[in-house]
Amino acid sequence: MKKKNKRKARRWLIFSLALLAVLFAVAFIGPSLIPHQPFKPNMRNALQPPSAEYLFGTDNLGRCVFCRVIAGASTSLFSALAVVGIVFAAGTVLGVAAGFTGGVLDHIIMKISLIFQAFPSFILAVAVAGILGNGLKNGIISLCAVYWVTYCRLARSLTVSLRDMPYIRAARICGAGKISILFKYVLPNVVAPVLVTAALDVGSVILSMAGLSFLGLGAVRPTAEWGAVMSEAKDYLQTAPWIIVFNGAALFVVVTIFNLFGDSLRDVLDTNAEI
Amino acid sequence: MIKRLMHSLVQTLILVIGITFLSFTLSYLSPGDPAEQMLKKGGMMVSEEALQKKREELGLDKPMLIQYGIWLKNLVKGDLGNSYKSRKAVAGELARTLPNTAALAGLSMLLVIVIATPVGILCAHDQNGVFDNIWRAVTYLFSSLPSFFVSLLFMYIFALRLKWLPVIGSNSWKGIIMPALVLSLTLSSWYIRQVRAIVLREMERGYLDGLRSRGIPQRRILFRHVLKNCMLPLVTLFGISLGNMMGGATIVESIFSWPGVGKLAVDSITARDYPMIQGYVVWMALIFLVINFLVDWSYRFLDPRVRREAA
Repeated sequence: MKKKNKRKARRWLIFSLALLAVLFAVAFIGPSLIPHQPFKPNMRNALQPPSAEYLFGTDNLGRCVFCRVIAGASTSLFSALAVVGIVFAAGTVLGVAAGFTGGVLDHIIMKISLIFQAFPSFILAVAVAGILGNGLKNGIISLCAVYWVTYCRLARSLTVSLRDMPYIRAARICGAGKISILFKYVLPNVVAPVLVTAALDVGSVILSMAGLSFLGLGAVRPTAEWGAVMSEAKDYLQTAPWIIVFNGAALFVVVTIFNLFGDSLRDVLDTNAEI
Repeated sequence: MIKRLMHSLVQTLILVIGITFLSFTLSYLSPGDPAEQMLKKGGMMVSEEALQKKREELGLDKPMLIQYGIWLKNLVKGDLGNSYKSRKAVAGELARTLPNTAALAGLSMLLVIVIATPVGILCAHDQNGVFDNIWRAVTYLFSSLPSFFVSLLFMYIFALRLKWLPVIGSNSWKGIIMPALVLSLTLSSWYIRQVRAIVLREMERGYLDGLRSRGIPQRRILFRHVLKNCMLPLVTLFGISLGNMMGGATIVESIFSWPGVGKLAVDSITARDYPMIQGYVVWMALIFLVINFLVDWSYRFLDPRVRREAA
């Protein structure tokens, strides 16, 4: 039964990796292949419903919605991967440092992470982005402020549980230095579960970033970021619902693909990265 | 007992100081000069001396930590300063809008509990059956849907097309229906999966073999024994999801123009109204802290083991 599940999970992983490859191809090669200019207004064609020429219709400035959806993909992917990359690196370093050294440093880092955790997460992101002002960079910073805590606490608890493992003690007895124990025996065993958490988080980071952009934080005009575009398009909900529908659908599809990838990766690696 | 209470009080106090310090730092870093914001009205120029005087009055020339002290003292007194935009007291504005958010969150939470708990339990009961698989697919897909997308779709279908409900939420009681539905639906998908996992984890426990070997039917085991033991994690879940809901309310409230704190916050961000944003963050974090404190405290009533230990 277990083995069968694993085989199934591996198949899902390959499937989701293929979808991810398509996604990245669309995001990074797609913009040079699209038939219309995604940023150039063309008022004569404003607010046209989907047709053969404009697959997803046009927006209030007559721009092709299909082309804009494709042009916006790279923004979402880039910002989400940036956030996850940063919190993965920073969280792991801080968590391992806290868990490995123990003592005062451990106390301080854990208290700080508790304080960040005391804020309802999206509210902290909104507040940080609201104070820093809009822009993709500030959106990324604000989401990092929210997400690093999980990684730090996970990396710390893994390090602490590894610290007293027999094989670490054996290494210490054999005369291995602190540094070599850290890099040779602790880090490799911490990275895998944290990496799975990172893969599981990409979808939710994309959603949060789109949410920030929707509120006017995060990405700003003229970027075709999906959340920002939908925020602009809500004034045309009555006359041009297709702008909302297709941008929302794009967001939905991308998040689903990343969630599939994260879940199947977790099942294949069999790490129950729950704290 | 008293030692433990003192310990948890000290921990909470450290958290409160941390929360307030972080919130203070955020707006300390914010661009713009509060003195200028307060004095300039209707585009009138303000003299440099007047600005300097105001800055001294506000304590802006003092070091950061002293400013934090002054701010904290005012916070304890309930004074969070005045909004840049409306010139009204921040605390008053928050207190005025908070009941609306509480009503929205309460109604949504009620819907979540009424919908998601039974579904989650039934999914666990029917593990890998048809019912479970259908719900797994539904919740999986739903968890990838952004709440603002669901909100706009609902608005299009129920308000613009079918005209059942008003587009703007603030005019009548009907306005709460759509935001509450969206909030509870987006949270439900997560909730159902959590409830299912909690129940399944409990069903793997050893005491179930004992019950089964005594010939007690599966249904009775589930409702009489398993669910009772699931109460604790379910209450924890409740605390966490209230935090999620407060965050989700910012987006949903501003879309449906529901006059709660979330909409107030988003409007303040658009207007660069820093005292308001700061007040909002502090209040929300402190409310969240109190909720979690109450959740911890409720274990005392729910779990006889904790009660006995404490006594």
